[in-house]
Amino acid sequence: MDDYAIGVLTNIGLFSFVALSAYLLLVAGELSFGQQAFFGVGAYAAGIGTAMLGWPLPLAALAAMGAGALAALLVALPTLRLRGLYFAMATLAAAEMFRILFEMFRWQREVDGEPVGPDGAQGFRGIRWVFEAGVEPIGFLALVWLLLAVVLAAFLLVERSRLGAALRATGEDPQLAGTLGLDVVRLKLGVAAAAGALAALGGALFAHHNTYIEPRNFDIMLGVHSLAYALIGGLGTALGPLLGVALDLGVLEASRVFQGYRMIVFGGLVALLLVFRPRGILDERLVHRITRSR
Amino acid sequence: MIDFLQSTLDGLTLGSTYALLGIGFTLIFGVLRKANLSYGPAIMVGCYGAAWVSMRFGAGLLVLFACVVAIAVVASVYVERLSFAPHRKGSAVAAMVASFALWMQLEEIASLAMPQHIYAFPPLLGAAPLAVGPLTIRVESLVMIAVAVAVCLGLRWLLYRTRFGIAVRAIVDHDTAAELAGIDVGRTFLLVFALAAAIGGIAGFLIVSTQEQVTPMLGMWSTLKGMLAMMLGGLGSLPGAVIGGLALGLIEAHSQWYFGPQVRDFLAYLLLFVLLALRPPWMTTRSAS
Amino acid sequence: MLAVTDLVTSYGKIEALKGVSLEVAEGSITCLLGPNGAGKTTLMMSIAGVLRPKRGSIRFGGEEIAGLKPDRIVSRGLALVPENRLVFPSMTVLDNLRAGAYQRKDDFAADVERMFVRFPRLKERAEQNAGTLSGGEQQMLAVARALMSRPKLLLMDEPSLGLAPLVVEEIFDIIGQLHRDGTTIFLVEQNAHMALKVAQHFFLMEQGKVTFSGDPGSLAEDEVIRRAYLGSKA
Repeated sequence: MDDYAIGVLTNIGLFSFVALSAYLLLVAGELSFGQQAFFGVGAYAAGIGTAMLGWPLPLAALAAMGAGALAALLVALPTLRLRGLYFAMATLAAAEMFRILFEMFRWQREVDGEPVGPDGAQGFRGIRWVFEAGVEPIGFLALVWLLLAVVLAAFLLVERSRLGAALRATGEDPQLAGTLGLDVVRLKLGVAAAAGALAALGGALFAHHNTYIEPRNFDIMLGVHSLAYALIGGLGTALGPLLGVALDLGVLEASRVFQGYRMIVFGGLVALLLVFRPRGILDERLVHRITRSR
Repeated sequence: MIDFLQSTLDGLTLGSTYALLGIGFTLIFGVLRKANLSYGPAIMVGCYGAAWVSMRFGAGLLVLFACVVAIAVVASVYVERLSFAPHRKGSAVAAMVASFALWMQLEEIASLAMPQHIYAFPPLLGAAPLAVGPLTIRVESLVMIAVAVAVCLGLRWLLYRTRFGIAVRAIVDHDTAAELAGIDVGRTFLLVFALAAAIGGIAGFLIVSTQEQVTPMLGMWSTLKGMLAMMLGGLGSLPGAVIGGLALGLIEAHSQWYFGPQVRDFLAYLLLFVLLALRPPWMTTRSAS
Repeated sequence: MLAVTDLVTSYGKIEALKGVSLEVAEGSITCLLGPNGAGKTTLMMSIAGVLRPKRGSIRFGGEEIAGLKPDRIVSRGLALVPENRLVFPSMTVLDNLRAGAYQRKDDFAADVERMFVRFPRLKERAEQNAGTLSGGEQQMLAVARALMSRPKLLLMDEPSLGLAPLVVEEIFDIIGQLHRDGTTIFLVEQNAHMALKVAQHFFLMEQGKVTFSGDPGSLAEDEVIRRAYLGSKA
């Protein structure tokens, strides 16, 4: 497999994390424009862990997930009572605040005689743990997809469980869910933390793949894209967001035919698709039909 | 004290543009109950189109103004037909994501048609700033504020003294009952969209002619400012959008003066977040779910 | 004047109307009775164009109107006074009337005056927001609003809902007046007692189908009332 293909596949994997993060919230009934903030928190946290504190990647990734969950709770707690576009705007405001904080964040440390660390708007260079550990691009690709597979398995398990049903019920009608005895508050907080950790894990891997991150990587565009991927791929299954990412990054990127016209084609196709399938390609009805016919 | 007054003046100028953007965004959100993410991009396409006309034909400001508004309206009608009309009775999220998809489309169209990205735009007025005592007042500021006031009055007339206004207010109150009264809801939505685009176009023209340039950031920036103005003033209310826009302008001008551009943006977002978290009664004018 | 044949309307997979057939004669007051959940409002909404029937036909004045949008149906001369009134609360009484006249291309000021003569309480409150009106006044406003489009057939969905008995009498008085002035009326009512006093013909609807058709003398009144409130299993 050539380097370009490896690169594309790795990117699909990386962005699937943040798309799944948006998907999780959508299924639980919340529209979020802000999951990119936790992607960023994870990226910075993991970068600091490996490049400045000398931690191995697994430890840094775990720390990143913790940081992402914490950041997500910080946003979720004050906004518990919000719904619909109110909630979406709050997540947007919060995410932009994070991004500005990233722009103001400067922390340098001497490592091997060189200053290393986040440098405000200049970004954070030198996140080279993966290269120094001798991991090949294809090895990293395998790592990303392995982790993604674990995450997907977890999603599919939860889907079939009572928890999954509880989440979808809360998504459809939180008041009804409340009267049915579901602790809506705990569910929402749990979902927020899980989504934050998930996006952060993606961010941690992203930082180590690119070796360089800057605040601009984590702007509104990423957030709205993640939401779009989740919706386009379909809200019926966790494979939906993956499909969304793969369609954008994979098919259109790889087919150089559309060079320069990629967004015109993609944008038009998405709008058309949503006319006929407003809940995405793999929507609940389709998934229900597929799983029933087994 | 002088600085405070100067910042306040600058804030009102900026705020009047935000108020216009807020009005446009709120028209769509208040009437259709959906957020249009292509709002700013349509305005941007209008501005780029006018910049092209200016480059090619050296046209006068009035012509350019007409171009901005006309192209913004056409682009918005395109967005409405493709991302909002099909979802009229359906999901607001699908409409919003579809409008996002078209946002991407519009941005790419603009960058293909005008590859230089940043283009010069003729200035609104060649006049020098006025000195009123210790304060500096740019004539453009007065024009912007006057235009904003005029638009507000015109909109008020439209909504309370015309048949179109009856249709809009009826739909906002109860869309099914409006249908039963014989109002063509679909067509009214289209007209509201066009109106919002026209107002946005006016704002856009004022922005690019006072900054004397068109940049690609205009698209997302306009949508964001429109959204912020709407939310600060109480979701879905037109007077609220004006107040929200002015408030946003004032907050930005003052915090820019004391803290610089980064903190300025941070504070605007922080204010919005806190307001949303606290949910004071004025913010809950209409259901946003 | 109005002929509904085998109408089927569903909400997703649930069929609310399972093949409804009935007729409304021109110049009459026809009443539709039935227990809650029978599908009466669904039928009214289907005729008015808010809901799109899956199958069947609705003919008005000889022309097929099933599936048309509501504004097209109003332009044909059919107006619905919806359940729960649904006045426009933030608009004045006068603006509500103007909304009802939306399709009119002529000067309707004379009609507004006529409404004020017929409904004097509305004239008193002409510049007040409709949301501040009492239930009975809102009902009158809703009727007046529908009348502004000069319908040939007036549909009314539960006009007496939530109103005090005295007010209900007023409303039915007005229904009688309208009928005498030449409007055909098709009325859905829970209050079978009042409805049977004014109607020339009635239909009974249960579980998505018309189960009985007759005039007020044909079935013992208490039988009808029982079935209207409780359904035929009672």
